[in-house]
Formats: sequence, structure tokens, C-alpha cells
Amino acid sequence: MALLTPRTSTSPSATRTVRATNQSSVRRRNKLILHLLLIIGSVTMVIPFVWMLFTSVKSPAELAQFPPTFFPHEWHWSNYAEALDAAPFDKYFRNSLIIATGHTLITLVIGSMAGYALARIRFRGREIIFLSMVAMLMIPTYTKIVPQFLIVKFMPLFGGNDITGQGGSGWLDSWWALLIPGGLSAMSIFLFRQFYLTLPKELEEAARLDGLGEFRIFAQIYTPLMKPAVATVALLTFQESWNNFLWPLLVTTSDDLRVIQVGLAVFQQVEATAWQYLMAGTTLATVPMVLLFVMAQKYFIQGFTNSGIK
Amino acid sequence: MIIKSQSRRRFTGVAALAAVALGITACSSGTSSGTDAEGGSDDVSGDITLLTPIFEGTDGQQLLEDELLPQFYEDYPDVTVSVDYTTYGNLNEKLTTAAVSGAVPDVMMMGVGWIEGFADRGLLADQSELGNTEEKLLETYTPAIVDAGTWDGGVYGMPIMLDTRYGVANMELLEEAGYDAPPSSWDELVEISEALTVRADDGTLERAGFDLLSNDPRQVFETFLFSAGGDLFNEDVTEPTFNGPEGVSALQLMTDLINEHEVEDIGFSSPDAAVNPLLNGRAAMGLAHNNLWTQGLEADPEMLENLEPFVIQGEGEGMFFGGTFATRSATSQHPEAAQALLEFLASPGPALAANEQRGNVPALTELLDSDYVQSNRFVQFSMENLDVAKREGGPPSWLEVRGDFAPAIESALLGQAEPQAALDDLAALVDEAMARQ
Repeated sequence: MALLTPRTSTSPSATRTVRATNQSSVRRRNKLILHLLLIIGSVTMVIPFVWMLFTSVKSPAELAQFPPTFFPHEWHWSNYAEALDAAPFDKYFRNSLIIATGHTLITLVIGSMAGYALARIRFRGREIIFLSMVAMLMIPTYTKIVPQFLIVKFMPLFGGNDITGQGGSGWLDSWWALLIPGGLSAMSIFLFRQFYLTLPKELEEAARLDGLGEFRIFAQIYTPLMKPAVATVALLTFQESWNNFLWPLLVTTSDDLRVIQVGLAVFQQVEATAWQYLMAGTTLATVPMVLLFVMAQKYFIQGFTNSGIK
Repeated sequence: MIIKSQSRRRFTGVAALAAVALGITACSSGTSSGTDAEGGSDDVSGDITLLTPIFEGTDGQQLLEDELLPQFYEDYPDVTVSVDYTTYGNLNEKLTTAAVSGAVPDVMMMGVGWIEGFADRGLLADQSELGNTEEKLLETYTPAIVDAGTWDGGVYGMPIMLDTRYGVANMELLEEAGYDAPPSSWDELVEISEALTVRADDGTLERAGFDLLSNDPRQVFETFLFSAGGDLFNEDVTEPTFNGPEGVSALQLMTDLINEHEVEDIGFSSPDAAVNPLLNGRAAMGLAHNNLWTQGLEADPEMLENLEPFVIQGEGEGMFFGGTFATRSATSQHPEAAQALLEFLASPGPALAANEQRGNVPALTELLDSDYVQSNRFVQFSMENLDVAKREGGPPSWLEVRGDFAPAIESALLGQAEPQAALDDLAALVDEAMARQ
């Protein structure tokens, strides 16, 4: 058969052209497949969010329909007003914002210092402290709640407590309990340390030759180079704090100190869930996080790429 | 080495100090319980706290703070109430942290099955010492409700509201199939369920004959257990009996309904479903919460005309009740004020208002004739049948073990375990927890 097949001769340049054309079509096909996969992934991620938006404007009667509708037949924007009337959400929103901002500031200031110290300053016990931090990452939040609650309750000289922490309520039902215990996490210190480790030692040496002290090396040399890291830790801290539900509920008794996640729980009763209001409230609660991400996404993505977080 | 041993000694010292401090707290909080509860309303005073999983949200808050508490203050002008609103989902964490820290609220609302555990730990005051004896409560509540607030011979909880589970049938669908009444036995329940199940040509379930899956599996099982004439525990609550013949036959029936008679498929509905399938015609019958009426008023009021509640009849009568009870802290600094608030909240007017706000079942027998009860057919049905209703709970460790029921029941429904084996394994876990008490 091979003998019968006419042999075609092609010049090297023609072969290169054919190969280049083939490569380009393969590249195009791969690109197309990649984009298709990314589109499917994006749609999969966006659909729950869109579902939440559409559910937030449906009537109870439409929610009861089967098969369920995707697009609302009628847009009940009044669900938003009614959801906001169901609890003092303006107060809850303000409280959440104060707490999330407070936690973020504490983390950025103290967490970055701790991370810097663990990464760049040699001192006795540094490894043990770092390993302790890593060990803390393994402890589930729930197991820490009762000990933390006791610390807050028996805080000396606060809330009517004497020097031994007896006689009053300590930090309970106060801003202290909301801001201090969750203000700094082992995870943020760990992340900062990893970021500081990636920066070259030469910068530090040059700065020392120029007569800079430790604090100025930290504040003026290294930290300005870590905007992506700062944005990443800030956003993660803000998000975690914004979504916190159990701790604010446990340590507060007054409605004046409650947060938005606690407010949303009003719509989920034992008897039934008011889905349209829950979704309207949740949509509003996600707005600050979405805005924050949009504003900081450039740094955020860089930060994730640099630190290898997935 | 010297440094190490010094720091170890220092740590031991700090730990010992902390233990002593906690001990002192526990002791000091325990000594204030014996305050005299006598005195008229003018003598009653103090700032007290109320922890409540009901009255949350603006409507509930307005009811409590704008309507009910002002009435209370008219009688007790020197009492101030601070309200801590929470949800049932996190009430246990609130109570547990309050208990370990000694900061127990003066008045606490809690669910059926919760009281035993907190009373056993000495956190709750015995109401019978202040006149609310079992005999007195039996004049205004049914025995099962009174029993839900008692522990070890004492009365620790005053009933405020109940919630019930029972069968509900869509009579329009039953009549179309030639049945003029809801099932009156298990055999009938199976027969009607099978007759009303609708599947597409490809076998996809379009309408469940009987919906078992829209409620908590534990409470569904308990309702069928009661229907089989069984109980969760023996009379003196020393051992579980739910794995006896009645429990096994109840779980077998549930398993058969799904796997043999195929009246519902796993995944067809769930306790978190946006809408109960009885309300949109996806189920012909089912086990439902009394709140289905309130949900129906919002979703489809016309559908409610077709829905008929029924007690699931077997060897016994299957109706479950849970609820909310008011309790008083044994360590309250203002026991008279706390007692006054508790009795006020459990009195007919406030209890009726709280039930109406949540669409639940008043515990007081006299409220059967109220306009609210008469206007809500499911609540009315619940109250008319409270004498056959049974509750969950019993041992102090109930809160610890109740979460183990759902996986055991689901393992039987999924065919991963035989009903007897699933319940025996569960009973072993419960036994172990009870032995630790």
C-alpha cells in the first residue's frame, strides 16, 4: 500500500507554516476549552448569588410554587423594606461595621508587627512562638468559646469586677468583648510572617547601614512593599469579622450591641424560614464585602498569588 | 532547669489561683438562692434579666416591650427587665456559657426536654416551693404538659407555648381517589399513601403519597413511636425504650414507606425546604408542624381549606408536642421580681399574645375558646388533642443525645442499617450518656 501512495514533497518553510498553523489551531482550541470551563465555573459560582437576588423579590405565593421559578413573576421590592423593618438593621449594620473595621485595624497594626518580628528578628524562643501560632490554627473555634467567655466575664476592674475579676460582668455586653478577643488571629500573624519572609534581606541590611532602627525598617522599608499582603489580610479579617455570628451573640445581651448576622437569624425561626426576607437581608449584608473586594481586588489577587493561598 | 521549674511552679500557682477563683464564684453564686420570696408587689424590686428565644424580631420585640412589659410594670413599678433576645438555634450555647460563668439570667425561656438537664445541674429554681405545685398546675394544664416542666419531684418550668406535629391530609386529593377521611390506622395510611403517590413515566416522583422528610427526622420518628404505643424512656427514666418492639415497628414503617411502598423519595423534601410540599400539592399527606397553617395563610390560603389534620393512629396515638417554658434562675439576686415576671409571662393574656405572634399552640387549656385559637384550625386541633400528645426528653442528658437520633434514623431510611440495629446502636449511645450523668 505504501508503494502505491504517491509521495508528496514539501519545502521546509511550508512544513513550518503547516506546523505553525496546526499549533495555532491547537492553541485556539485549548483556549476555547479553557474559556468554556472558566465560563461554566463562573456561572456555577454566580448562580447561587443570582438565585438569592431573585428570591429576595419573590412573593411567598411564588416561593411556594412547584416547579420553582427562576425569574420572579412579579418583583416585590417591598421585601427589602419589610426585611429592614423586621429588626433594627441600621443599628446592626453600624455595629458590624465598627467591629469589622476595628478588627481589621488591630490585625493590620499588631498582626503585621508580630509577623515581622517572627520573620525578621532573631530572638530566643522565636521558633517555639511560631510553632505555637501554627498549633493555634489547629484549634477549632468552638472549643475556645467557653474559655474566652470566662476570660471576658472575669476581666479584672471592668464591668464592676474587682482586681480578682469577681463581682461584676467584666467585659460582657460591652464593646471590649466585641473588639478585643477577636481582634487578632493566629492566621493573620502567620500570613504576615510568610509575606515578610519573601522580601530580600539586602533591603534590611542597606537600611541598617543608613542608620534606620528596627521600627523604621518595619514601617518604612518592608511594609510599604507588602500592599498585596496588607490588602489580603485586611480583606480576610474584615470578611471573617463581618460574618461572625456566635461570639457577638454570646457576649452581648443588649440589642444595641448586636450585629447584622444576628439580625438575619430573626428570619430563621424554628417553625419556618421567611426566605424572601432572609435573602433580602443577606443581599444587603453582602454589599459591603462586594464593594470592598471590587476596590481591593488588584492587591487581593496579587496577595493570594504571592502567598500561594487557594 | 531552675528557670523551667520556677516557671512551672508559677504556672501551677496561677492555675491553682484560677481554680480557687472559679470555685469561689461557683460558691458565691450558689449561696444567693435562698432569698425569701414573700412580699407584695410594692416590695418587689430589682433589675432582672430575661433570656428568650421567642419575641425576637421587631414584631416580637414590640409585643414584649411596648405591650406586655408595660402591663407588668404597672403591677411591679420597681422592677426593670433587660431582655436578651436569642434564637433556639443558639440558646444552648447562651445557656451553657451563662452557666459556666455564673452569669445566669434571672428568667430563662427554654424548650421541652431542656429543663431536666439544667434543673439537674441546680441552675433552676423549684417553682413548687413558691406555690406553683404540680397539683396546682394540673388544674390549668394537661398532665403531659405539666410533666414537661418537672424534674425529680420539683416543678422547674411554667408552660407558655407549645408546638405540635401530627398528620395532615389534602382532602381534595383523598376524595378524588375515593377516600372520604384521613387514615385511621397504619394499614390505611400505607394504602392511601400508595394510592395517592404519583410518578412520571420515567419514575420521577411528582407527588408524595405521604411526606416524611419535611420535618426533623427525630421528631417524625417520635411521632410514629408514640403512634405505635411506645415511649422514648421507661417510666422512671432510667433506660431508653425506643429500641423496643414499638420503636422498631415505627422505624420499620417509616423505612417501608420510602423503600418498599415508595410513597416518597429521599431528597424529595427536607426540613430546610423553602415550602412544605403539602402547600403546593407536591404531597397528598404528610407529617406537619402546626405552623403550617400560618405558612399557608401567606403562601396559598385556599389550599388550607383542603388540609385536614389527623392524629396518626396505630396501637397508640401519634401526636408530638414541644414548646417553650419559662424558668427562673436558682441564683437570681432578685427572686421575687424574677418569679413575678415568670408568672406574668405564663399568665393567659401574655401567653396568648406570644402564641398568636408565632402561630403556636397555647398551653393553657382555658385558651381553647379564645378568638385566636378558634380562627386557626391547626392550633385548635392541637389543643383539642393535647390529652393524647406526648413529648420528647426525659433524662438530664437529653440535650447531649438528641442530635444522635437523626443519623440513626437516616441510616435506616437509606437502607444502611436495619431498624432494630440502628435503634440498638442509638440506645447504646444514649445509655452511655445517661451513665455519665
